[in-house]
Amino acid sequence: MLYIVSLMDKSLKEALMKVMMSDFTPFPLDKSICTGWATNEPRGGRTILYTGCMYQVVPLSAIFDRFIPILSKNRLFYASLLNLAKKFHPDKPALDRSYKILRSISSLLKKNGINFGYMYDDEPYSGAFLLELGMLSDFERYATLVREKFKQQGVKRIITIDPHSHNALSRYSEFITFDIDVVNYMELLREVGIGKKGDFVIHDSCLYSRFLNKREVYRELLKKAGVSFKEDYMVTSKENSLCCGGPLSPIDERVSKRIGEYRANQLKKVSEKVIVQCPFCYVNLSPYVEAYDIAEVIDSE
Amino acid sequence: MNEIWNIAIDRAVNNNVPRVRSILESYPYINDARKKLRQGKTEVIKDISKYVELTMESVKRNGGNAYFATDAKEVREIVDKIVGDNQRIVMGKSMVAYECGVRDHLIERGKDVWETDLGEFLIQLSNEPPSHIIAPAIHMTKEQASKVVRKVNPDSKAQSHEEIAVEARKFLREKFINAQVGITGANAIAADTGSVLLIENEGNIRMTTILPEKHIAIAGVEKILPTLEHAFLEVMVQSAYAGLYPPTYVNLTSGPSSTGDIEMKRVSPAHGPKEFNLILVDNGRIEVSKDPTIWESLLCIRCGRCHFHCPVYRVLGSTWGDPPFTGPMGAMWSYVSYKNATPSTYCVHSGGCREVCPMDINIPKVLEKLKSLSQK
Repeated sequence: MLYIVSLMDKSLKEALMKVMMSDFTPFPLDKSICTGWATNEPRGGRTILYTGCMYQVVPLSAIFDRFIPILSKNRLFYASLLNLAKKFHPDKPALDRSYKILRSISSLLKKNGINFGYMYDDEPYSGAFLLELGMLSDFERYATLVREKFKQQGVKRIITIDPHSHNALSRYSEFITFDIDVVNYMELLREVGIGKKGDFVIHDSCLYSRFLNKREVYRELLKKAGVSFKEDYMVTSKENSLCCGGPLSPIDERVSKRIGEYRANQLKKVSEKVIVQCPFCYVNLSPYVEAYDIAEVIDSE
Repeated sequence: MNEIWNIAIDRAVNNNVPRVRSILESYPYINDARKKLRQGKTEVIKDISKYVELTMESVKRNGGNAYFATDAKEVREIVDKIVGDNQRIVMGKSMVAYECGVRDHLIERGKDVWETDLGEFLIQLSNEPPSHIIAPAIHMTKEQASKVVRKVNPDSKAQSHEEIAVEARKFLREKFINAQVGITGANAIAADTGSVLLIENEGNIRMTTILPEKHIAIAGVEKILPTLEHAFLEVMVQSAYAGLYPPTYVNLTSGPSSTGDIEMKRVSPAHGPKEFNLILVDNGRIEVSKDPTIWESLLCIRCGRCHFHCPVYRVLGSTWGDPPFTGPMGAMWSYVSYKNATPSTYCVHSGGCREVCPMDINIPKVLEKLKSLSQK
């Protein structure tokens, strides 16, 4: 089998690292895409709501994944091609949906009496994809810079909203000294809104379910919101539920999509309406099923 | 290929996964057994050289021959020496023999060699690599298998699972009876007694270990366990997690056949083989045993359960990993045996493998380390 990862050669990885370490974004990116959702959030503070720009860039990541093979064939033009990537903009409806989810999460937290700020342009990307691609020494190098960024802003507590950022930040302490508290927004919600009507099936985020012990946290929130969902041992149990294929997208987009379709077909046997907790799961599954982010389901108004 | 694979894997998962669940619920002592087994395996992996020595001494004490091979080439050389001029050989599904290219090597040397495990027999006939560690022909639907058996019986009308099995049985009977050498693997080897344990359901391994005059067991050094008690635990845990509990047959071999019936003097041979040979294979394992993360891959007991809980295997099948090593365990073992870390790059850290692994191997963590090695 041809392992396409070889396309991402060392010099391309180095070029991407350089951008990440100067811009603190997962790939070359117009930063206003990340911050556009926030209008009235207080800037900075000891406790911050951390987006990692994940919901915002997801509509773009597919374009970027397709861009990698093009980049690899044009090694002499890395710098200018990477600059070109900063001109990419996601579809407006997709970006608006992401913004709506972010605002909904912010509003839910506020309703629960949680005070927080947002770092706007200063919010650094977590480095999740370095960790997930096994670029462990780069991840360590990058985490050191991110830690400094948080320290400069006096951050003591980070509220994450997606599994990839939560996983990456939670694992900083395996690589560097890191004493900032990392908590997920779902764990802070005591009250939720009115649940969306319909019979749903949960597609668990692999990281939340099998690595971060959050599986019951969002099930409880769904129950609290009165959301109806069905479980099926072969499809939704901890040991049998499968990945959406998302993490493979930068390595092999074709196989990533095949996994997404395979998973969607399993879920459809339980329900067409699928609840996800991760923006990447949404992107990989929504071509085949009616997908909703959990924030859209537990606060449907 | 994709469509047939999807049908085959879905049938296999739907047959196997609920069965394993029910076995584990019905026999709760398996849970204690697997914990004790992990301890035993860990003890050996931390000191492999000592246990290789102990095992070889025990085998010799039983009247058998014990060999240590550092790589695949040495395995083939030792097999050549043992086989000698004998022509007719039967094999009982040894993945280590596949890893070391033993079957192809013997065929190249003009020997008449037959795989006797039904799955392995089918892939020998179709000239394909194995796609699953315990169900090597898992990629084949029964419709395909019925075509494949026509290679040995062009008049075969076999259609059902049962009829295909009967077709193989008819053909292989004669091969068993006339075989001069039987080659198997080992599920577990007890260092204290020098016993080799093999689990099976077909009866082919029992015949392969009993009927020919010479028996060769080829096994990775990680199959050694400190005691015979541990080795029995391995047999129970492996078969339960493979969904085949209780196993139909468990074969225990401690040296060549013998009898003490005349004046209580133990002499050899009796009815079974007159020669027992154990080849312990390193082929990369000892080096890996020293890595603080990757060593866990050696705990694998080859139950094949991780495959069914992995989205990448469910979609890619045998094309992911270096045969016979496919699936999550295969992504680890492609590195152990072939020093190929690239399959790990396809791991999506879904984590199902870790949830179901009876040895609690942190497979995603091992693969994360291998991903990092693949970039160097």
